[in-house]
Amino acid sequence: MKYIHEITESFRIATEAVKANKVRGMLTALGIIIGIVAVVTTMTAANGLGNRFKESISVIGTDVLYVSRTPWVFSGNFFQFRNREELTLKDSEKLEIQLKSAKVVNPTTSTNQNIKYRSKVLESVSIIGTTEKQVQASAGAPEYGRFLIANDVQYKKNVCVIGSEIKDHLFKDVDAVNKKIKIGRYHFLVVGVMEKQGSAGFFGGPNFDRRIFIPISSLMKNYGGRNRHFDIVVKSPSPEELENFEYAVIGEMRKIRKLAPTEIDDFSINKMETLMAAYNNVMGVVVLIGLIITSISLFVGGIGVMNIMFVSVTERTREIGIRKAIGAKKRTILIQFLLESSSICILGGITGLLLAFGVTEIINAFLLPASISLPIAMAALVISFLVGIFSGVIPAYRASKLNPIEALRYE
Amino acid sequence: MAFEIIDVKKVYQMGSQEVAALQGVSLAVDSNEYMAVMGPSGSGKSTLMNIIGCLDTPSSGAYLLESQDVSKMNDDQLAEIRNHKIGFVFQTFNLIPRADVFHNVELPMVYSGMSSSGRRKIAEEAIERVGLIDRMKHKPSELSGGQRQRVAIARALVNNPSIILADEPTGNLDTTIGEEIMTIFDDLHRTGNTIILVTHENDIAMHANRIIKLKDGLLESDILNNKHYAA
Repeated sequence: MKYIHEITESFRIATEAVKANKVRGMLTALGIIIGIVAVVTTMTAANGLGNRFKESISVIGTDVLYVSRTPWVFSGNFFQFRNREELTLKDSEKLEIQLKSAKVVNPTTSTNQNIKYRSKVLESVSIIGTTEKQVQASAGAPEYGRFLIANDVQYKKNVCVIGSEIKDHLFKDVDAVNKKIKIGRYHFLVVGVMEKQGSAGFFGGPNFDRRIFIPISSLMKNYGGRNRHFDIVVKSPSPEELENFEYAVIGEMRKIRKLAPTEIDDFSINKMETLMAAYNNVMGVVVLIGLIITSISLFVGGIGVMNIMFVSVTERTREIGIRKAIGAKKRTILIQFLLESSSICILGGITGLLLAFGVTEIINAFLLPASISLPIAMAALVISFLVGIFSGVIPAYRASKLNPIEALRYE
Repeated sequence: MAFEIIDVKKVYQMGSQEVAALQGVSLAVDSNEYMAVMGPSGSGKSTLMNIIGCLDTPSSGAYLLESQDVSKMNDDQLAEIRNHKIGFVFQTFNLIPRADVFHNVELPMVYSGMSSSGRRKIAEEAIERVGLIDRMKHKPSELSGGQRQRVAIARALVNNPSIILADEPTGNLDTTIGEEIMTIFDDLHRTGNTIILVTHENDIAMHANRIIKLKDGLLESDILNNKHYAA
């Protein structure tokens, strides 16, 4: 109870001291405001980038594994993967038979071709050879027309389903379905247009809207089937079972590839998580550097507060003497000045946070899906409080140690 | 017995030189005494004041305040003693400039941890006693010197101290106002308070019933004054 009176009194004195020097307080808080805006904006921008990335790779699907010859992301020696044998269509067929738990097993292969419709040309478009099972394996469905059907694959038909960006490029507002486009040297009939799926192109990743799906059989017929490398897309029964499912896939693949127990895998399992982890690795470092740089401005703001606190202590030396003479303890004086510096900093923190909300709205409108989360807002306030304590502690300690006799004599 | 000082010495280190401000002073003061301390500057008057007021501790000797030895206490313990047992009135008033009359007066009770309702009642009584109840919301800068000193006296009273220590309380006031302030001290003495008055003016000292004189850090004289409340 005793301490509560002391602290409420200290708080009252502290806020009065801030109010008594409004302009000085505002200028001092400005350093903190700028620091908090910088730190919060960095954090929200990083969050926004993360959201954008997650959004753009969500089309891969959280419950899907891609069995490939090489990993999507790797560090170190590429040559360890170079001598691996290609995955074949046979491998995929065997896997489908042996892997009973899989919901879908779908082989795919790809090639890059120029495409043409009338006078419009798009260069180096990713052509994916796949089967009708593609739509079950990953997110994304046709917006107009239909997807490939078993019949297309079986009879090696020259039909295609185009991505939304390709549709926009070649056809603008015209209906694309039932038009013929040229893929490389061959004519294909457009049977469907995929809905917009978003792009990881921003990060140098694949652009899912700039793809064309054709039957895997007609891809091999038209663009060659030898030495072609295949990926096998396998869908787990559920996202929760993905981990166990991955072991099952690895086990079956090793049998198919006839690997002895001592041999290491000569294929790679890729999944969304792999990309996410790679992204987090890179962004983690970038964000850390950003935070360090922005923290410097907060630190400088803190130094400004410290400076003003020294002035405040000197100005009020006599007052400190009076308070001590009538019974204020060291602790009481210490708390009074700590509260003064932390209220300046918290006021700066709140103002900075409000400004950061504004900046985030601007980022949100023009750049990225960014938002200030509750933890970030809380962290900003806690940080500004800590800066207040940090910058107040030395001046406050000095004030608390003043000798009352000398302080009373101070003019 | 309000307090007792036994062979107190105080030595200051001034550079390489040691200066003895008090060279062995012994003094016993009863409750409800009204004692004036006189002496020229450099006599050790201020040092004695600081020790009695628990702002400083003696280099040697003992200081028993209400039978409690305070000569070896640390800063925070001394702060608590000052808060509970000493009421200060200074020559320069020493009010907190930003706080109003009421808040200046309630401050010692804030530091002793009293609830705000309890503080209000006692502070208002004390302000009433010095005749400033209509000035409660005024800042010190809006008051005259005499009024400021009254506020300081009210502040000295609120924690019901064992000693009221007044250091040249009329030094910054003209004679008429000074006499008004002295009648307040006389009144406090009549109602049972122990008052120590530091002054170099004979007229003021004559209000006390005991007058001690210091010279060169030693007690020069210690006389009773039967004609106190002279004015």
